[in-house]
Amino acid sequence: MSDFSGMEDLLQDFLVEATDLLSGVDNKLVELEKRPQDRGLLNDIFRGFHTIKGGAGFLNATELVTLCHLTENLFDKLRNGELGVTAEAMDVIMAATGTVREMFHALEQGVQPQAAEAGLIASLKQAIAGELAAAAAPAAAPAVKTTAGGALDWNAYYEAVTGRAPEVPAEAGQGIPQPPKPDEEIIKAAIGRRASDKPGYSGPTGRRESEKTRDNAIRVDTSRLDQVLNLSGEIGLTKNRLNSLRSDILAGMTGAETLQALDAAVGQLDLLVSDLQNAVMKTRMQPIGRLFQKYPRIARDLARNLGKDVELLLAGEETEIDKTMIEDLSDPIIHLIRNAVDHGIESPLERAAAGKPEKSEVRLEARQEGDHIVIVVADDGRGMNAEKLRAKALEKGLIGNEEANTMDERQSFNLVFLPGFSTAAKVSDVSGRGVGLDVVRTNIQKLNGSIEIKSELGKGTTFVISLPLTLAILPVLIVKLGEQPFAVPLSMVREILPIVPGELQEVGGRATMVVRGEVLPVYPLNYLIGWPQEGVPAYGVLMQAAETNFVLAIDNFAGRDDAVIKSLEGFRPKGVAGVTTLANGQIVLILDVKELLGELGDNRGVARQALLPAAALALAA
Amino acid sequence: MPDMKMKFLVVDDFSTMRRIVRNLLKELGFLNVDEAEDGAIALGKLTGEAFDFVVTDWNMPNMDGLTLLQQIRANPQLKHLPVLMITAEAKKENIIAAAQAGASGYIVKPFTAATLNEKLSKIFEKLEKEAA
Repeated sequence: MSDFSGMEDLLQDFLVEATDLLSGVDNKLVELEKRPQDRGLLNDIFRGFHTIKGGAGFLNATELVTLCHLTENLFDKLRNGELGVTAEAMDVIMAATGTVREMFHALEQGVQPQAAEAGLIASLKQAIAGELAAAAAPAAAPAVKTTAGGALDWNAYYEAVTGRAPEVPAEAGQGIPQPPKPDEEIIKAAIGRRASDKPGYSGPTGRRESEKTRDNAIRVDTSRLDQVLNLSGEIGLTKNRLNSLRSDILAGMTGAETLQALDAAVGQLDLLVSDLQNAVMKTRMQPIGRLFQKYPRIARDLARNLGKDVELLLAGEETEIDKTMIEDLSDPIIHLIRNAVDHGIESPLERAAAGKPEKSEVRLEARQEGDHIVIVVADDGRGMNAEKLRAKALEKGLIGNEEANTMDERQSFNLVFLPGFSTAAKVSDVSGRGVGLDVVRTNIQKLNGSIEIKSELGKGTTFVISLPLTLAILPVLIVKLGEQPFAVPLSMVREILPIVPGELQEVGGRATMVVRGEVLPVYPLNYLIGWPQEGVPAYGVLMQAAETNFVLAIDNFAGRDDAVIKSLEGFRPKGVAGVTTLANGQIVLILDVKELLGELGDNRGVARQALLPAAALALAA
Repeated sequence: MPDMKMKFLVVDDFSTMRRIVRNLLKELGFLNVDEAEDGAIALGKLTGEAFDFVVTDWNMPNMDGLTLLQQIRANPQLKHLPVLMITAEAKKENIIAAAQAGASGYIVKPFTAATLNEKLSKIFEKLEKEAA
């Protein structure tokens, strides 16, 4: 039993069962957040770690045993009421659970897991020793003993209690309290715990690093794999059908019947391939609940710091989302929750004055809407005041007077996404550094998603994040400059309008269009990519990018397409997100519109007037 | 020499663990093994059919190993059954509780076939002495 050879079956059994157990533990930990006194829950979690430890022992996974053992000891004290479930303890427990999961992944790849971080072990021991210095001994000792001399020791105990040859020394040895820890260790442990309050805590970071390294290992439900297999089989059959039709056609059988059969086969292939794409995509999907479950604690801790009573309500945890996105969503959602608790929710006094219940709710919700995942962070707080936001942005010099006057409510709300914008009069240590929300939007946009704000004064604010189901397939709009097609992400497209030269206006020296009362700048695509202007653009694509909406002026468009993105290995021209191939084999650049706009930088308003050809201006005049 | 045909009941909520114990027993030559997922199911099986030996985990939902042991000892038909407690529990109080409840033996995870054999032999020895 020195390595896994000969134990693969056992290892597989263990992993499947233990992973289920751990997921159960994870969920129960979330429950525990709500009911920290629930002894049944504590007992269940205790048993989870205990069972994993027992199995791990047979696999000689010493490090896993050590970690589970410590965690189990902690829960033993918690369930016996010797220790209370504190935020610090939960921090450590969450980190431990994460590490156990990492260890499972190591085992999955057939390697013995590495020791847990010294800081985590120290924190666990610290937590266990928390209130009972004398009881710290079993915590430190058995971790090693259970694997080495554990059986012997217990034998001695057993003999002792059953009245046979009592072995006093062994018992005495166990009874000796652990020597006091050197100061250094205490300080180290203390520092470790302090660090856990910060976003850059070593625990989660470590997990993420390892997540990257094991990106190529994904746990997939077998039924999903079966579906992939099934579909690829059917595609094979359809291919055979096409082959035989090709022979027929080459042999001169081009009658209506053959062509009809060809049409049917191609149609079927079309359907099957899109099904296959979906099925393959599904193998990458994971429930978002895994991400959500750490937020209730964050929200609660934060609310307590701020003297507010906030409950974070989760919904739609079962919504599935691309695995790579789960990690990248973690920080943006934390920001939004912090923002809601810190800025959105009023102080208890304010709430009372407004006649609202003292306890406030922040909802974190996920759901699938068509080919998009929608994540909602909503609070029932004070809501946003468009006027105040505009005043603030003006004061900070983020927008000009003229801009401020033309802004509608939605645009005003979006001001909070501007870098350097912060409405909190006082910078708190949790949010309000004025960097949060613009980073949130940047991160969401990196995932080809968008974020929107809905707010009602006095009722609350809702942030709505919309994300594509997967990063591998990007719905795009194919636009044309002359005969050259380009692709722009459909997620940014709001609508397509004909450009009537007579309706083009000039505001502040730039070409603009008025769309339903909204004054939008017009950016010709050729200007963005540095092509010469030829003729008047016939269409405008109303796009939502960065902090502005604008009209992208193009010659023509060729409809939407599901682009399979190929990244340009090795080099990346500015403004190009990747390439894709059209149905006719033509290669198309997928434009990174935000980057193209970024090229214009702060001078967005400059040199507009020269852009539209003289002919167009003349027509307009 | 124990009867190799004796019937074992392995009680554990973790199926991997039941399989491990079953395999270890097989290594020792005991092939007649049944399984139960927790104390309550085990008790049902024990009262339903005849078993010769119970190997049980401690920590289980519904009914834990200690309660199962107590129930067995409290049942006139079952109280003679040898019960080996298997647990990863590393606490003195537990072993005392097990001994007081009348466990025939106590074994700490992880263990090898050799350890299991040693424990079983001790129990058989004791049973023979009692019988003699």
